[in-house]
Amino acid sequence: MYNKVTPEIVDELIEIVGNKNVIYNNFDAMEAYSHDEVAEKSYAHMPDVVVKPSSAEEISKIMKLANKYKIPVTPRGAGSGLSGGAVPVEGGIVLSVEKMNKILEIDKDNLMVVVEPGVVTNEINNVIKDDGLFYAGYPMSVETCYVGGNVAENAGGGRAVKYGVTGRYIYGLEVVTPTGEILHLGGKRMKDVTGYDLIHLMVGSEGTLGIFTKIYIKLMPLPQSKVDLLILFKDIDTAIKIVPKIMTFGRIIPTSIEFMDDLSFKTSCKYLNEKIPFEEAGAMLLIELDGNSKAELEEQYEVIGNLCMENGAIEVYIADNATTSERIWKIRRNIAEAWKQYSPDQSLEDVVVPISEIPKFMEKVRKISEKYDVPIPCYGHAGDGNIHATPVKNPKFTMEEWLDILHHKLLPELYKEVINLGGTISGEHGIGHKRREFMSMALEPAQIEVMKAIKRALDPNYILNPGKVI
Amino acid sequence: MSEAKGMIINMKIVVPIKQVPETSNVKMNPETGTMVREGVESIINPLDLYAIETAIRLKEKFGGQVIVISMGPDKALEAIKEAIAMGCDDGILLSDRKFAGSDTWATSYVIANGIKQIGDFDLVICGERATDGDTAQVGPGIASFLDLPLSTFTSEILSLNDGKIKVRRLVEGGYEEIELELPAALTVVKEISDPRLPTLRGKLKAKKMEIPVWGPQNINADEENLGLKGSPTRVVKIFTPKVTREGEKIIVKDEKTLNEAVDKIMDYLIKKEFI
Amino acid sequence: MGEVWTLAEFRHGELSSVSYELLNRGKNLSQKLDTALASVILGYDIKKEDIDELIARGADKVYVVDDKNLENFLVESYANVLIALLDEYKPDIFIAAATTTGRTLMPYVAVRKKTGLTADCTVLDIEEGTGNLLQTRPAIGGNILATIKTPNTRPQMATVRPHSMKPAMPDKNRNGEVIYKKYDESLFKTRSKYLRFIKDESQQVTVQDAKVIVAGGKGVGKEENFAIIDELAELLGGAVGASRDVVDRGWKTYPHQIGLSGKTVSPALYIAAGISGAVQHIAGMQTSENIIAINKDSDAQIFHLANLGIVGDLNEVLPLLIERIKEYKAKEASANV
Repeated sequence: MYNKVTPEIVDELIEIVGNKNVIYNNFDAMEAYSHDEVAEKSYAHMPDVVVKPSSAEEISKIMKLANKYKIPVTPRGAGSGLSGGAVPVEGGIVLSVEKMNKILEIDKDNLMVVVEPGVVTNEINNVIKDDGLFYAGYPMSVETCYVGGNVAENAGGGRAVKYGVTGRYIYGLEVVTPTGEILHLGGKRMKDVTGYDLIHLMVGSEGTLGIFTKIYIKLMPLPQSKVDLLILFKDIDTAIKIVPKIMTFGRIIPTSIEFMDDLSFKTSCKYLNEKIPFEEAGAMLLIELDGNSKAELEEQYEVIGNLCMENGAIEVYIADNATTSERIWKIRRNIAEAWKQYSPDQSLEDVVVPISEIPKFMEKVRKISEKYDVPIPCYGHAGDGNIHATPVKNPKFTMEEWLDILHHKLLPELYKEVINLGGTISGEHGIGHKRREFMSMALEPAQIEVMKAIKRALDPNYILNPGKVI
Repeated sequence: MSEAKGMIINMKIVVPIKQVPETSNVKMNPETGTMVREGVESIINPLDLYAIETAIRLKEKFGGQVIVISMGPDKALEAIKEAIAMGCDDGILLSDRKFAGSDTWATSYVIANGIKQIGDFDLVICGERATDGDTAQVGPGIASFLDLPLSTFTSEILSLNDGKIKVRRLVEGGYEEIELELPAALTVVKEISDPRLPTLRGKLKAKKMEIPVWGPQNINADEENLGLKGSPTRVVKIFTPKVTREGEKIIVKDEKTLNEAVDKIMDYLIKKEFI
Repeated sequence: MGEVWTLAEFRHGELSSVSYELLNRGKNLSQKLDTALASVILGYDIKKEDIDELIARGADKVYVVDDKNLENFLVESYANVLIALLDEYKPDIFIAAATTTGRTLMPYVAVRKKTGLTADCTVLDIEEGTGNLLQTRPAIGGNILATIKTPNTRPQMATVRPHSMKPAMPDKNRNGEVIYKKYDESLFKTRSKYLRFIKDESQQVTVQDAKVIVAGGKGVGKEENFAIIDELAELLGGAVGASRDVVDRGWKTYPHQIGLSGKTVSPALYIAAGISGAVQHIAGMQTSENIIAINKDSDAQIFHLANLGIVGDLNEVLPLLIERIKEYKAKEASANV
């Protein structure tokens, strides 16, 4: 269906982006472009050629060329994704935006920045923090990921409870369509209902509908203080019941509400040699608050802390300085690494359920875990029901046995339970090609048909990031 | 510890602490090799946390009270309140313009006088040293002003009874066990305990508490002994050392480069006569 | 002009080599001041050879207090004796090593003498004109250096970081005066009692004393893997160091911790394996003479400090290195037969 990349086509690509921005016939250099952060090797695939354009015009030319020769093009940011979205599953061209890494404009009057897609997300916050501003999109990998990838995946992360996900801050896009047209969507306008909302069709399209070349991002005032609470509960039910109460009784929206089940935090605490009395607990919440004054946050953590103590919490720890904050976040951040000591083969899942269903979901996970004798620590963002249930290969299985159990039994069963609870299979990592075969479990046929119609309309030759999402 | 349970001694323990700049999130400036210290927040000296924890555990076991004392600006109240949130009972801030510029001698003098004013104490427990000044002189200095028997680098409390404390201290090549008559002073190392986290209850208690602020008149201090005037030492100059050295870097990719890398290390070790 | 004094450390019946380093430092100062260089040695059953050795290493005078009460270090009795000596002989400068003994005794004494004391100095010099002792020490984790003096009180006291200077070669032909002092029992009265010393086998070579340190960080992966760090250290006759993360996780004990909240070291060779080089760690080892770093992450901060950097997995590099060192040593040994 697709054609191979020939040396002649490579010459044409060199003409567009220049010799030094093309990698061809160099296995070592191209290997890095064959995978993202999904650990399993089976999800990787080598590209035929890697190009690194510097402008919308160059990308437009590349897309026109690819259409002409029917060559697939896979756009790529920093490669920190967790769904295989940047993997060139059909080979062809990998289009890396790494050269497009400039912050084009900081518009303090309109609280906007305009950036190219290859800017590292944290870099935006570094340059505007002295102006008292920040970008509230917060994937956990801010120090490495690119903002272009964040937009393509509509990345979520730990602060979504209060600040929502990436899409909320995207007000304009310059996009190169699969056929090579350059579109200018939105801009610095706060309101805009002129026509269909193509911006938010593009946001979260996982690189299948267009390649971003300019991104308009809304900024927020930077909070001056933060406080973290680490709360130990006897069980998951008690912990989760607190979550809505924080907002209804407490009338407080925390920045994040992170959840850890006992399998997660016990492994992590032991790994870290942490000496808080974690053995007594069955679940933990880590709540972060931000605001403009210590006094305001003090009031808030008192309300939340008291609420927790009155509703069965074992202990509430307060961290309002870097030493203690770091100590409690370490527990959350080291879960994956701690489990790697048990087994490096893990499938980081990204399911979402309505918050109230988390305890039921956890029961189902326990049953599945027992049935297949596979540990499944669960942690993640309780504030939005997004739980990273992570099946970890039991060392007693061979690799073949493990992959068979995971793909053909465990994951389908897990996803079925999630959907029965009103949830879905990915909250923030995306479908990519890792979860593509499960899309029909989560969406009705008519929805998928609409998506396919959109894809066909924009990409008649089906060359932009094929094999992903639908 | 090895005592019979339920023995109540009612210890009065004083813990001198220091507020220092937080450095764990600080980045290095690769050109100058120095810390980037802008916007750095203040915390309890990390090594003082072990002293606080040791004192609280003694109190929990033997009854009594733990009083933290700190010399510093008003901002140091935060550090005192954090210690109270961890479980200390009272706090005192030694703060006055006349204290500013004190070296370790004058600082030891002020804190020792503050402790004298508290009076009637059984133990003074200090951290090993502060992570900013890094002198480790104030703990022994306080002990000397108060004329107390002293165990530095204390890594374990072995027993406490009959007005005596038996401790183990970390020294070159091993440990020493010594016994001190109370009242006594200890400086403690990290090995002695794992500090607890402040709790909500602790925070609420600390918030309500009025921390007395003492100046020279409250501690019967001789003004000749305070601040710069009372400090025997003078700073002549402060400068930044240049430490960066860009050496050779070898990347291991496969068997071949691995061997090359190990060759390089061998050459280096042989040339510099380490083997 | 008073004399320049150094404290000779006599522990468990042995004179510590740091005592000679101090003499070599003191020699430079006493020459500039044109005064005598003296060592003070306190202890019990002090051997004549040790006193002779102090003279051979540069002491013009040795003050000896040999008493059963001084058999083991207790700060109260040691301080009392020292103060008596200082009061009687009024030296101008008094330096000790920044060991557990020096760092305990010196501040205890300085307070009583109401004089200045500068901790953990790396450079000592004499100010032109005034003859004041200029004491340079790293502060804030070695990120700044401060030069400090004690202009108005005497003695000027300092502790000096071990290994910041080499001892002088012994000269058996040197002559020196030995002054034996006896003190009344009351001076030795203490409220503390020495019970015993427990040797820590894992600290055969301590990080402060070691010429070579092989240190492991989080990148070592797990406690069991530390065996290769231990083995390499042993092979190089060095000590084992560890980053804070490693000590926090319980893989190594606190005496091994290098960095802002652990030990500050300056060995001739520091091998950092799986250590990324957080500011706090660097603060504890940046003055090492030679640094070799092995880390998977090519952007790790530690490479800015390294004379030789290997980007790779320490669990591959070190076993091969150990093998090669063993081969080399075996070859050398057979060549020497």
